[in-house]
Amino acid sequence: MAPPIAQPPGPPEPVLGETPAEAAAQQTHASTEVAHGEAHGSGGLPQFEFQHWFGQIVYLIFLFAVLYFLIAKVFAPRMRRVFDERSSTISGAVDAARQVQAEAAGQAEAAKREVDEARAASRATAQSAKDRVTSEAAARAAAEEAVVAARIAEAEGAIARTRDAAMANVSTVAADAASAMVERLTGKAPTAAELKGVA
Amino acid sequence: MADPLHQFQIQKYVDLPDATLPVVGYVDFAITNSHVAMTIAFFAVVLFLQAVTSGAKVVPGRFQAAGETLFGMIDGMTESIIGHDGKKYFPFVFAIFTFILAMNMLGMFLSFTVTSQLAITATFGVIAFAVVVVIGFMKNGLGFFKLFWPTGAPLVMRPIVGLIEFFSFLLRPLTLTLRLFGNMLGGHVALKVFAGFVATAAIGAAGWLGLLIAPLAMGMTIGLTALEFLVAFLQAFVFAVLTCIYLNDVVNLDHAH
Repeated sequence: MAPPIAQPPGPPEPVLGETPAEAAAQQTHASTEVAHGEAHGSGGLPQFEFQHWFGQIVYLIFLFAVLYFLIAKVFAPRMRRVFDERSSTISGAVDAARQVQAEAAGQAEAAKREVDEARAASRATAQSAKDRVTSEAAARAAAEEAVVAARIAEAEGAIARTRDAAMANVSTVAADAASAMVERLTGKAPTAAELKGVA
Repeated sequence: MADPLHQFQIQKYVDLPDATLPVVGYVDFAITNSHVAMTIAFFAVVLFLQAVTSGAKVVPGRFQAAGETLFGMIDGMTESIIGHDGKKYFPFVFAIFTFILAMNMLGMFLSFTVTSQLAITATFGVIAFAVVVVIGFMKNGLGFFKLFWPTGAPLVMRPIVGLIEFFSFLLRPLTLTLRLFGNMLGGHVALKVFAGFVATAAIGAAGWLGLLIAPLAMGMTIGLTALEFLVAFLQAFVFAVLTCIYLNDVVNLDHAH
């Protein structure tokens, strides 16, 4: 304990000691008061014992400066690095997921396109087969029809010829019949020219 | 009953040679309970931050998550109040916040609370104020004084309002100091008084009345303890928020006014 040179103990000597016990009590009171600091005795807050201020302030400023530099140079950058790393990890993962998703979508697209192509090819094959069969059938039908038509035409030609021949015979027959009738009626056979003229 | 103010007494553990300095006057150099508590608070903060940041992983553990919450809270605050420049002033605000928080919290466990010492809170107040003034002059030069020039007021009123602004600016360190000091002082005095009632009743000094007083006072003490934990955190946070707001005043002087 520092001897209080600047401020001597409060209670003056003459007050001390009606009885030895009282004197001793007063003495201890005085000494504790001194040990606690002078301002305490005056009833104020201990915080206003200004002789303790300077030591505390200097020490606090020192500690604060050290703490500031530790935070500014060590702790804050470390923490920032972790934060940055975390955000880059998260954004990287999200990017990767997005990329995988896009890839999957692309593959699905390709598969769909392949299926479509295959379907179109098969449809084309079926169509061409159908066309070929149809055209073959049509050609065969046309050929047969042509043959039949030729035969019909031939038959019709023959019929026409026969009819023409018959028709030709009919006029001869009619002329013969007419000349015969005329001969029978008139007794003389008409001439061919006369017959022609009537007819 | 113990004197409720006794807990604020500076006690010397190791006495060092005293001196009378030119401006300061008589100085009682010693290693005191205040120095010890400050040291504990300092190492608590440093060890906590070391534990949180050393080997910090992308996926945080519980301890790291707790540290990151504090970190993120102050980080978000500096950025939302000061804006994009906030990152630059984060270490200062974070140092103030963590140091005061550690001191306040330590006061709940030790018999001595550093932040109930006016010398300490005044130092914090002056540090915050001085940093604001220095940054203000560094960023704006003499334009710093535009801070007191109220462009919104009628021209005749401006000098008067400006003067009021100036004095209220000068009062900032005082309000910072007294807010923290008053909260910690009052809380701990109230705690000690009610705890003292319990002790008084327990030793039978209050007679049979003690049976009534003791449970009431005990309930009060428990409630006040919970409240003091809240106040310990809140006052550290309020100090940090106000520091941010004062910094914002001078950092964004051109945009805000």
